[in-house]
Amino acid sequence: MKNTDLDAVLRKASVPQPPEEFWIELPQQVARQTNRSRSGRTEGVHPAHHRLTRLSWGLATAVCIVIAFSIGHWKGQKELEANSKDVLANPQFVRETLAAFPGQVRAIVEDEHGLNVVLSDTDDVPVSTPLYVRISRGKEVVAVVTFSGQEIQIAGQKMTVLSDAQGGIILMGTDFAWSSGGPAMAKNDWKITAKNLELNTM
Amino acid sequence: MVEFGNEFKGIAAFTGLMHKIARMAPADELDHIQNSLTGNAEAFATLVKENQKMVFAVAFRMTGSMADAEDLTQETFLRAYQHLESYRGRSKFSTWLCQIAVNLGINWRARENRRGDVHVRWAKDSILEPRAEFPDELSQCVQEALNKLPPKQRAAIVLTVYENQSHGEAAAILNCTEATVSWRVFTARRKLKSLLKGRVP
Repeated sequence: MKNTDLDAVLRKASVPQPPEEFWIELPQQVARQTNRSRSGRTEGVHPAHHRLTRLSWGLATAVCIVIAFSIGHWKGQKELEANSKDVLANPQFVRETLAAFPGQVRAIVEDEHGLNVVLSDTDDVPVSTPLYVRISRGKEVVAVVTFSGQEIQIAGQKMTVLSDAQGGIILMGTDFAWSSGGPAMAKNDWKITAKNLELNTM
Repeated sequence: MVEFGNEFKGIAAFTGLMHKIARMAPADELDHIQNSLTGNAEAFATLVKENQKMVFAVAFRMTGSMADAEDLTQETFLRAYQHLESYRGRSKFSTWLCQIAVNLGINWRARENRRGDVHVRWAKDSILEPRAEFPDELSQCVQEALNKLPPKQRAAIVLTVYENQSHGEAAAILNCTEATVSWRVFTARRKLKSLLKGRVP
């Protein structure tokens, strides 16, 4: 059989026809399906939908900012409250205590037990700028007002408080050192702040 | 402003597309395609009516089953609607539909078999599907022979013999080289000659 003969045979063959209803129903069925897919597609690209999505993201971002601001504000308030409870931050209190025991005050300590004034047996404590040191470890907070060269004990640690010529403060312990002027070998879990308390500002 | 710009680009692209389509499509068909692109389902239904018999014939030759041919015909029109924007008018709209039907038909049986248990489906088809009523014995013999060809060879015969496509055009539709189409046609013809020998006048 030649190719042309085969092609002629193939072309002569007809396909069976489906029921007449198929020809009537098919266009309607396709129209229904296209309507459905079009509404789905339209929903997917409608500018209003985009605007709604953008608005949702905008609102979500705004809510996140408000929450973050609230948390920051709340933490700030807590710190402020904590500071206000720190009696040693009250200049008037420090000045009056020092005035009550002239030359005798080695340190004023505020810890979980309350306030303690550490006095020398003699009035040999040199007059110098009072130094404020605050050490916190977790929830444990100890604040001290003392003078350069004094030895204090905080959280079971003995340490010497020193003030250098530039106004920096150094804490020297048996196994650590800390300086307000730069990186120091402080205990990892300790948070230390220290500053000079100027008499004229008190 | 951005949305207006995009809209303007969309209109320009749409107009350009319609100019290209106009090269091949008759005026009425062009109107229906244009209206379909704007979401007019009735216009697309008209395109379905005008082309459904041709698409069904291709679908039946590709599947050899009435039920599959009906499903494949519907699937072809749905795909065509979904991708109507990609019709560039380089060929007749009917040729473009034929291209979709043939490509769907190549994987149709494999896809259908994956959907459910082959044996259950085979039993169901044998019992429930009405047997195709061929107009004559020759048509039945030819279809039975076509059914025995691998789908890609069958597609090559459908396109080159029934749709009068050149090997180059068929290669573009089937996404293969012209040499591959020529080889598939050659192999398919050899098998068909063997299968039809003594059964057709």
